[in-house]
Amino acid sequence: MGAWEFYLVVLLVYLGTDLLAAWGLNLEFGVTGVANLGYIVTIAAGAYAYVIFTLGSPASAGDFQMYVGGFGLPFPVALAAGVVAGSVVGVLIGITGLKRLRQDYQAIAMLVVSLMAATVVSADTPFLNGNAGLVLLPNFAPLSDQDPEIQRWAYVGIVAFCCVIGYFVLRRFTTGPIGRTLRAVRDDEYAAAAIGKDVVLLRLMVQAAGGALGGLSGALLVGFIGGWSPGAWAYVETLALLTAVIVGGMGNDRGVSVGTFLIAILILQGVQFLNDVPELKALEAQFNRPALTQDLGWIVLGTLTILFIWFRPQGILPERRPKYGEVRG
Amino acid sequence: MQLLIEAIGFGIASGAVIALGAVGFSVQFGMSNVLNITYGALMTLGAYVGLFLIDRGVTVWIALAIAGILVGLVSVAFNRGLLAPLVKRGTRAFAIVIVTVSAGVVLQYVIVVFAGPDAKSYGEQSGQTFHLLGMVLTASEVTIILLTSVLMLGLHLLLTRTMLGRAMRATASNRVLAQSCGIATDRVSDIAWMLSGMLCGAAGVALAITTVSFDFSLGAVFLIPMIAAAVLGGIGQPYGAMVGGLVVGIASEVAAAFTNPAYREVVAFGILIVMLLVRPHGLFGAVWATRRLMA
Repeated sequence: MGAWEFYLVVLLVYLGTDLLAAWGLNLEFGVTGVANLGYIVTIAAGAYAYVIFTLGSPASAGDFQMYVGGFGLPFPVALAAGVVAGSVVGVLIGITGLKRLRQDYQAIAMLVVSLMAATVVSADTPFLNGNAGLVLLPNFAPLSDQDPEIQRWAYVGIVAFCCVIGYFVLRRFTTGPIGRTLRAVRDDEYAAAAIGKDVVLLRLMVQAAGGALGGLSGALLVGFIGGWSPGAWAYVETLALLTAVIVGGMGNDRGVSVGTFLIAILILQGVQFLNDVPELKALEAQFNRPALTQDLGWIVLGTLTILFIWFRPQGILPERRPKYGEVRG
Repeated sequence: MQLLIEAIGFGIASGAVIALGAVGFSVQFGMSNVLNITYGALMTLGAYVGLFLIDRGVTVWIALAIAGILVGLVSVAFNRGLLAPLVKRGTRAFAIVIVTVSAGVVLQYVIVVFAGPDAKSYGEQSGQTFHLLGMVLTASEVTIILLTSVLMLGLHLLLTRTMLGRAMRATASNRVLAQSCGIATDRVSDIAWMLSGMLCGAAGVALAITTVSFDFSLGAVFLIPMIAAAVLGGIGQPYGAMVGGLVVGIASEVAAAFTNPAYREVVAFGILIVMLLVRPHGLFGAVWATRRLMA
């Protein structure tokens, strides 16, 4: 397998997992109006659940890393565990929205949940091996006797399949009566409540669905990269997804997909190619800045978010406003 | 018991710094009703401006004053150039929060690009230590506690005894009404952002003095304890924020002393979430600006 082919596989897996995550965030933020700045925690929960369901007991690998669980179960079970974990964590985060706080306060409360989760997981080594994270996931079991190339492409297939299922589930929420209800909750929660919609219940339902997509994304991602640590889910990662949602078009599933492609693949991966620019390498060496390109990536993302909210808050592909026939007397 | 008393000592020292930042945050929020997350990165900016000056031989306390003024100016420019126009256009609250989070991330990584990701330090602060009721405080910690107290008193007098203070309170509670009474609300708001930016920059330098070493995440780490203190005391109330700062500082240090030191921040996080869920108006209720925190 050539280096470029391998890179293509990596890109496709990243694109698929990022799409699932961005859809989930768009459902919560773009469609329902819950600015979940702690969304990355659902992805982390999915990933950790996948890890402790696939790894054997800590003792079986000589106790070199500590974690709870260690069930050594097959891939589909671990994937399902990731979905459930993401969903549960999504609801737990959503409980901060139960009390009807101002939207910006909700956002802060969720940001704090994200910071708190990262601090606790980092500090509490016996729980999930703390800051060092968990590694050495077993190979993708059903095809472990196959050629690695076939395994990798098979994994791309699985990710693609999950994306199709995910999109199908997503459309159940973003279109039709449910979608209209959720948008009503976003645009005017009092009006929605007045016509008998249970705003809190709807929000929790969305948190569960969005969290499930996040959990699936995290589980699929960790199944591919084979390790997971607090460094992988810093709160700024939520910002990358938010940028994708805002640039693509809040509340528009296709728009968000375009946004994810632009942000996650073109920009975040494109920045990596700056490493090949010799002048920049020389600059990095001269000023001793090994991660300069990544820092630039965050600067670009933050700036893009601000520019879009300023100049084009509806995004590249705006949400389509439903048109109803005029009532004639 | 000795451990508890020492922890309370540390708590008072860090509480003073938290209070300094929390009061600035409170003034800004009370005035603009915008939850400004960029405040954390501005604190980091203050700390690095301080470092730049101290490396060039400026005294710590002068560096603190200069960093304060500079961050004050940046803060006014940030509000004038970005936040105020967005608010005027009717951008929704959560979009503005996302703008401030993004601006904070951008500023933080711009600082990294210029100053590098490695840990920095102002160097050992000279001076004797003070022993008081079993608490041990360094000279710079005592200075910071005194400085905070003086600034708080000054702010209190400004808000309650001067025309400017009355104008600020009026603008904070009802901008349109204040304007129709002949108050130049834009200028008053600029002054409030300047004041809060100065407190923010000073808090950044004070943080860098009291911590052994710091890096570009300094402000992001301490922003949450400061918001917790501000919310605990009731947003928009300087005294509340001061009490909140002490409570958060002492609770964090006591928790760190008796459990895992990494849980120092978790205590502040917990206080903030519980306050938001149970008493979003703060322990004492709003006095000089009533804000709608509930949807």
